[in-house]
Amino acid sequence: MATTTEKPIIEAQNLSREYARGPEHVNALSNVSFHVMPGEMTAIVGPSGAGKSTLLHLIGCMDLPTSGSLHIDGVDTAGLKDRQLTRLRRDSVGFVFQQFGLIPTLNVLENVLMPTLFSGRQEAARALQLLEQVGLAHRAKHRPHELSGGEMQRTAIARALINSPRILLADEPTGNLDSASGAEVLQLFKSLNSKGLTVVLVTHNESAAATASRRMTIADGQLVADIRQ
Amino acid sequence: MIRFAIKNLCRRPIRTALTAGGVAAAVCVLASLLAFGEGYRKSLDIELKRMGIQMMLVPPGCPYDAAARVLKGKALDVSLPESALAAVRLDSAVAQAAPLLMAAIPRPSEGRTDMWVGIDETLLPLKPWWKFAGKSGWFTNPSSVIMGNEAAVTEMRRAGDSLYSPETKREFHISGILERSGTSDDSMFFVPIQTAQEMFHQEGRITAVGIRLKDPSQAATAAVRFQQIPGAQVVTMGEMMGTFTTLVDSVRTLMVGIAGLALVVSGLTVFNTMLAMVMERTRELGVMRAAGAGRGHLLKLLFTESLLLTGFGSGLGLLIAVLFSSTAEHFARMAVPLAPDGRLMDLSPAIALQCAGAGILVGAVAGIYPACRAAALQPIAAMRESAQ
Ligand SMILES: Nc1ncnc2c1ncn2[C@@H]1O[C@H](COP(=O)(O)OP(=O)(O)OP(=O)(O)O)[C@@H](O)[C@H]1O
Ligand SMILES: [Mg+2]
Repeated sequence: MATTTEKPIIEAQNLSREYARGPEHVNALSNVSFHVMPGEMTAIVGPSGAGKSTLLHLIGCMDLPTSGSLHIDGVDTAGLKDRQLTRLRRDSVGFVFQQFGLIPTLNVLENVLMPTLFSGRQEAARALQLLEQVGLAHRAKHRPHELSGGEMQRTAIARALINSPRILLADEPTGNLDSASGAEVLQLFKSLNSKGLTVVLVTHNESAAATASRRMTIADGQLVADIRQ
Repeated sequence: MIRFAIKNLCRRPIRTALTAGGVAAAVCVLASLLAFGEGYRKSLDIELKRMGIQMMLVPPGCPYDAAARVLKGKALDVSLPESALAAVRLDSAVAQAAPLLMAAIPRPSEGRTDMWVGIDETLLPLKPWWKFAGKSGWFTNPSSVIMGNEAAVTEMRRAGDSLYSPETKREFHISGILERSGTSDDSMFFVPIQTAQEMFHQEGRITAVGIRLKDPSQAATAAVRFQQIPGAQVVTMGEMMGTFTTLVDSVRTLMVGIAGLALVVSGLTVFNTMLAMVMERTRELGVMRAAGAGRGHLLKLLFTESLLLTGFGSGLGLLIAVLFSSTAEHFARMAVPLAPDGRLMDLSPAIALQCAGAGILVGAVAGIYPACRAAALQPIAAMRESAQ
């Protein structure tokens, strides 16, 4: 799918992230280099504590590397201020979490529109269209607690897409779902990816990893395998 | 953003209600106290201006108490010799001086005390607002009586009727009924001064001399001269009002201080509530950061929430203060001795605005730190903290 003439949408060079845990230092990620082309669907797998979430947070500009360089959507993230990182996060990436992160007092439609509170854009029509796309148009006025896990996650996906990002990041999106809803969510990722969205998902689930076109394996903070399937 | 902030506040309705209630209580008390002071001063001012009396000669004792009693139509236990009146009239600065002899007749069977006041026509220029109802008028003979409007209503008498006073065993003829003036005169019985002296066995005595000067600015120097009159002391209305207002003001300052303290305490609850909101919603705030919220957005959101919280509380407090101002007035009247007749509670828009402002200011101050905490959260720290 990726052609050599295109520029990578994610470009990581020797990415490292150290945490200070008391007196000792933990190398959550050390010297990871890779790039992701637009339209790829990548699964990041690996044992617990390997550094998968750490990597995803770096890609999502939620955190900064201790060393190494990272380009997102053509922007060098080195030395960016909080404000600029926020803008990059808002415009270029969408985040999906294991625990959905929906706001309980807002209904489905309002949850989808939540990011526009901070972008100041008017996206009501687009929100309805996204709900249609994730199959939740009939649930627009429901509160999160009235939804099933799969419906909550699909709401979260619609929310992640409201600002039309080019990259969708998901950290164990099926981790809290039964296999049927999990499969539905994966199917949704697949169809979004087929329309050109770049998807990076962290997963423990073998079938989830199998839906991706590429599998990166992280162990002990290092990239140990990178296979295009 | 504001709707979102309201929804966040509604998440814990009881906690929000309690916090807002605390602010409301503090603002309500503050507004009522300020309104009370304002109203008290105004009505006192109006009452004193209407007196037409600028100075008063009273018997020894607490001069302000004596003067206030005379003004409110309450009897004094001690009296002045008539010679004091003559001495005042001799003074060149005096435009008008009128004797007053006041006596109370308790009427336990009717549950009230009637005030009888002996006067002569020299009082009329000092009571410019007096109007006689219908064709009634001034005393026609020593056993004439002029009744205040309320007194006439309670006695069910009209001009021309006769009135028997069982306590003094005298028969009176009602020569005049005064129109309602809103002062204490409304409930009094006025008789010629000699008649009053005979009735109450006070021959040659009077209770007070009401004085009007040719030039009010001469009050201070004239007061010094009147002070020389034996067995009498002088009170100027300005002084008396000053004493009243300082007394009321000092009590009020104390109360306003307490209300201020209550406001500070309510500020602490707001602080606590807002901080709890930030803690509880750490994960959500992290999700918002991931969704493109900047530090400024979270700062604004949390700050808006605390302003809404205190704004709502202040509004509620003012509403309560307005709704219950007549009840508060009733209690204030019981608590404050010799309160003027006008409205005691005067909740002007300026006071309302000040109180709402104070409430919201408290909210703003209390909201700063929690809002900064929210803004300072690292996006991933926010996510991790609550993932555990
Ligand atoms: N804020 C932090 N402070 C200290 N150590 C941290 C911090 N965040 C992560 N770590 C450590 O970094 C390592 C990688 O963590 P990370 O969350 O990326 O793992 P993961 O691969 O996502 O694991 P899981 O599959 O359990 O989610 C772990 O050893 C973790 O304990
Ligand atoms: Mg993880």
